[in-house]
Amino acid sequence: MEVDLSKITLRPFKLEDADDFLLFAGDDQVTNYLRWQTLSSKQEALDHIKDVCIPHPWRRSICIDNCSIGFISIFPFSGEEDRFKANIGFGVAVKYWGHGIATKAVKMAVPQFFVDFPDVVRLEAFIDAQNLGSQRVVEKTGFQKEGMLRKYAYMKGKLRDMFIYSFLSTDLPANP
Amino acid sequence: MEVISVVQLDQTKAKDECLNLSLRPLQVSDVDDFMVWASDEKVTRFCTWEPYTNKEDGLNYIKNTVVPHPWFRAICVDDRPVGAISVSANSGNDKCRGELGYVLASKYWGKGIVTRAVKMVVDTIFVEWPHLERLEALVDVENVGSQRVLEKAGFQREGVLRKYFILKGRSRDMVMFSLLSTDYHS
Repeated sequence: MEVDLSKITLRPFKLEDADDFLLFAGDDQVTNYLRWQTLSSKQEALDHIKDVCIPHPWRRSICIDNCSIGFISIFPFSGEEDRFKANIGFGVAVKYWGHGIATKAVKMAVPQFFVDFPDVVRLEAFIDAQNLGSQRVVEKTGFQKEGMLRKYAYMKGKLRDMFIYSFLSTDLPANP
Repeated sequence: MEVISVVQLDQTKAKDECLNLSLRPLQVSDVDDFMVWASDEKVTRFCTWEPYTNKEDGLNYIKNTVVPHPWFRAICVDDRPVGAISVSANSGNDKCRGELGYVLASKYWGKGIVTRAVKMVVDTIFVEWPHLERLEALVDVENVGSQRVLEKAGFQREGVLRKYFILKGRSRDMVMFSLLSTDYHS
């Protein structure tokens, strides 16, 4: 399958995306390293879009020809002390893996996010030590690996080692 | 002359190591000892809070933060509090993780007291909290003394987290250290 990366766009989710959303959010391979439970019905997809995606401070559908094939979520922390930090997560339907789509999407999302949230100074990604694909995505998009946090948290019942990466607002290329 | 000063140095070191150190809960009745370190700007340099200026605030801190805290101890020399050490708790998927913090009156710096106190905490916390897998500590990149404490206590340095923290209005790089229950038991 050939993928024309110039056809990748980001936009907010709509209820109409439910069937496409279920294709990736209903797939264990995609949700394996996410905190989400794998979805199992169109109703769950509709509920998730309505209750989580739409009210989310910054979640975008990754689209090819306006069809949803994945997501990027950037979550600024709440509280006075932590508003300058945010956390990024992403996922793409398995059928579209291996074409650089997530990398393209993250490259598009990061500068836009810093414009939308000018108070955020540090964008971080916690990536499972075994999730090589996502590690490559963030490395190719300019995140800096800061270290491995051993036995940092439980994910789906298992204690995980995680790499922590960061992208600072000052890492963005200077405007000409 | 040289021989005498070396002997004197050894005696001072031996005396410091003999300091009668203990950990116990910090109480409202300890407020005057608390104020000694809490009002010292040398001590609060890397703390999020400004030095305390009045006893009433000290009492409120002990009543409202220390007493209900999941794990907070006074570091005592000869049963008098000279500092404090604590472990924070998390919930849910983060329950495996606790964060270590400590503070010591500046008069007692340089004697290995905090290193000993950290080792005492490590000896007990994994037993008291069997769900704890990871004890972590975040130290300002410029706080070299505190980094040495953790290295001597057997913590592993995992990396520098850039602009991880805002301290008194400025973003700071922090060094992340951890000690796992499996590190401790091996």
